[in-house]
Amino acid sequence: MKKIEAIIQPFKLDEVKEALAGIGVDGMTISEVRGHGRQKGHKEVYRGREYTVDLLPKLKIEVVIGDARCEELLKTLTAAARTGKIGDGKIFVYDVAEAIRIRNDDRGDAAL
Amino acid sequence: METPLCNDPIRALAQRTALVDGMVERSAVEDLWPSFPAGLTLLAVGGYGRRHLFPYSDVDLLLLVESSRMAQDAPASISAFLQTLWDSGLRLSHSVRTPEECAEIHDQNIELNVSLLDQRFLAGDRALYARFAERLPRFLHAQRDPLMRNLTRLSRERHQKYHDTYYHLEPNIKDTPGGLRDYQLVRWLAQIRNVEAPRVEPAFLFLARLRCYLHALAGRDNNALTFDAQEQAAEYFAAPGAAQWMRDYFRHARDLYRAAVRELESSEAQNSSLFAQFKDWRTRLSNADFSVARERVHLRVPHALEADPELALRLFQFVARHGIRPSAQTEERVAAAVPRLEEWFSGPQPAWPALKEILSLPYAAEAVRGMHDTGVLRAIFPEMAQIECLVIRDFYHRYTVDEHTLVTLQVLAGLRGAVEPAVKRYTDLLSEMEDPALLLCALLFHDVGKGNANGGHAEASLHAAEPALERIGMPRPERDLVSFLIRRHLEMSAVMTSRDLQDPATARDMAGRVETVERLKALTLMTYADISAVNPTAMTPWRAEVLWQLYLLTYNELTRELETDRIPSAVSEAPEKRAFLAGLPTRYARTHTGEEIEAHLLMDGIFRDRGVALALEKAEAAWRLTLVTADRPFLFASVAGTLSSFGMNILKAEAFSNSQGTVLDTFTFADPTRTLELNPTEMDRLRVTVERVVLGRLDVGQLLRNRPKPALPSRGSQVAPTVSFNPQASDSATLIEIVAQDRPGLLYDLAAAISAEGCNIEVVLIDTEAHKAIDVFYVTAAGRKPEGDRLEKLGDALRRACGG
Repeated sequence: MKKIEAIIQPFKLDEVKEALAGIGVDGMTISEVRGHGRQKGHKEVYRGREYTVDLLPKLKIEVVIGDARCEELLKTLTAAARTGKIGDGKIFVYDVAEAIRIRNDDRGDAAL
Repeated sequence: METPLCNDPIRALAQRTALVDGMVERSAVEDLWPSFPAGLTLLAVGGYGRRHLFPYSDVDLLLLVESSRMAQDAPASISAFLQTLWDSGLRLSHSVRTPEECAEIHDQNIELNVSLLDQRFLAGDRALYARFAERLPRFLHAQRDPLMRNLTRLSRERHQKYHDTYYHLEPNIKDTPGGLRDYQLVRWLAQIRNVEAPRVEPAFLFLARLRCYLHALAGRDNNALTFDAQEQAAEYFAAPGAAQWMRDYFRHARDLYRAAVRELESSEAQNSSLFAQFKDWRTRLSNADFSVARERVHLRVPHALEADPELALRLFQFVARHGIRPSAQTEERVAAAVPRLEEWFSGPQPAWPALKEILSLPYAAEAVRGMHDTGVLRAIFPEMAQIECLVIRDFYHRYTVDEHTLVTLQVLAGLRGAVEPAVKRYTDLLSEMEDPALLLCALLFHDVGKGNANGGHAEASLHAAEPALERIGMPRPERDLVSFLIRRHLEMSAVMTSRDLQDPATARDMAGRVETVERLKALTLMTYADISAVNPTAMTPWRAEVLWQLYLLTYNELTRELETDRIPSAVSEAPEKRAFLAGLPTRYARTHTGEEIEAHLLMDGIFRDRGVALALEKAEAAWRLTLVTADRPFLFASVAGTLSSFGMNILKAEAFSNSQGTVLDTFTFADPTRTLELNPTEMDRLRVTVERVVLGRLDVGQLLRNRPKPALPSRGSQVAPTVSFNPQASDSATLIEIVAQDRPGLLYDLAAAISAEGCNIEVVLIDTEAHKAIDVFYVTAAGRKPEGDRLEKLGDALRRACGG
């Protein structure tokens, strides 16, 4: 099993969710995060004063999926979240040792 | 599932009580009475005592004993008695007390004292019971105050645990505010105070039925109304759907909660001896209509509402001004007068001025809540009935639609006094609103369409709001803003989640939708309030940040385009109109109606003949001077100075110039001493003076010399002046933005300072909000952006001008 953690642009959430639903992935955890990679921040001027916006709002999506389907999910996710511009985000993939459904003790892929 | 007698809960509960009575009596005959021929009495207390035994609730028994030693002498028989009942499946909870112990205040065990309020004789020593029964009323009377204090404290703690609201996605129908516990509470408090209990039987029957059902469904003492249980209950009780059925639930919970809070407040007021001694300073707020006593507003003449329905509006104006709620009695009187009010407001009643005042006052949110709770709001706006207790059934919307609406107003009120920078910038935005009442009014209506919408509720809300606003006599320009806000209230949050904020097209698109900074500010605040009022955690700092960025990008876009985006020469128009419009900022076309543009066109013709064209008119509460003439140095400053010399207070000003160097200046000003209104000849004198100044026949400096210097406002209300330059804001001019304490003559001093530095004013946008002037100038020097030394000197001169 793999855990996929994707940092994406907030406005891409609906597209990503739809694309994942399209390949049968419905369950995910979404959180509001702030940060920056190479995009760094930028400066805004309001009322003549400069504000540095260094931490940009992003969304983090977490999904756990069986090894067999991981590549498909990554492909779908990348395609849906991409604009081609700087700031599109990143995806990290982790190995998952075990998954257990608390309700009935299902383990492994069955618990996903 | 075994069907409980859900349709007649009282009978079902009584039947179960009778069944348990029989079990207790049989068990006592077997195990208890052989050891206790006398000196022991069995009492049913709590829910069991009042014969309200739900299918799986606990059975509360009190073993009343002659002396505590007696119980210790024969513990085996008591154990056997309880054991038998446990074994037959009852969830028993018991205590052993002497009559003396029952007549003591137990601060640590309030439940014992309270459970005695529902005591009932079951079996045993009658003489002992008589002793206890005789003592009980004396005890209740003597210990009334501590009993009430304990009970109210306990109940307040329970309400607090559930955040003092009956709005919960999955309520516990016993303990959450508006639950069965509150039904007991109002009865107990009435019993202790020896007054009649308020009638809340329909709510009790609804909840009793539901609790029977939930117990039967779970097969245990379960009172949690989960999402699944809501679906099942709606089906079981043959409701058209879970959302519809939950609407009923909230109506009943609301009634019960209100009754409970009212009883708690009366008890606390009666109970607080400190309060009674306290000389209430607020009594000095009393006036001809209302008196204030004990932090509550009372009607001076209780029956006056019948003859004078507008008294209801004055009452809520009073509430909105002072933040003091009406007394329970007053609320009842107002609620009783609602049919009369409905009749009164059913015709075209110019209620807007009174409503607008309510919405403009500091405690508007409290006042509107009071109007909602008493039914006054619905008497004015029957449209509101559609959303009463309307449930949006998902895991996101915590409140019913009407409550959500009231919470949006509270959110705005809560912005006052915010200190955290991420929130405070919204506070500043609110303080810059020209007319917050219009924003509040738009919020009142924004979700009204949810009551009957198929598809977009924003349009449905607008559809309901427009005739209502017309009916109450809201003037056209105000109605336009309110309608705009209702129609567009979802758009900023949609852009926040679906558009790339870094893409310049997003800001351009948003700017095109709102068209002016004024509307942008209102819509931003509306979005802030709307999201915040979905549930207590919906407005995350993350969202507040994204909304602010969208505001900022759009704001900068709108101020940038003020100078840069000019109306192109349109071939289709008549030649004169084309010549006049060409080169004016796009803002001009957006903020003026076709009629106004036609009027300006006529003035343009007069200007060509006479060198200047002037129009002076009264607009709402203020005056407006429109001027078309040829641009020249010091022109804008001279006119501003002339108005000041007449004692006029400039609220807003705009100066635009077209490609031919013709300027259109508009000044909106207040006439604090009503000179123009009272002396029509003064209007002519003003017109002539401005004309002479514009044509260079009169020196404005001379006019101003005759004016006394106005007193500066007190230090406490000072706004620290900021003067900022932004050379990037436009291609050809430099933006100067000035925020300063407003004072008479400020605009003249600023504009004169700019002209004195040899700069030309291209575009001006002046706004004043509550002693704060927000002035935007786009200036050039010799056709280019001013630079270097000149900019520095200009900054110093402007800062000096701000200081007066």
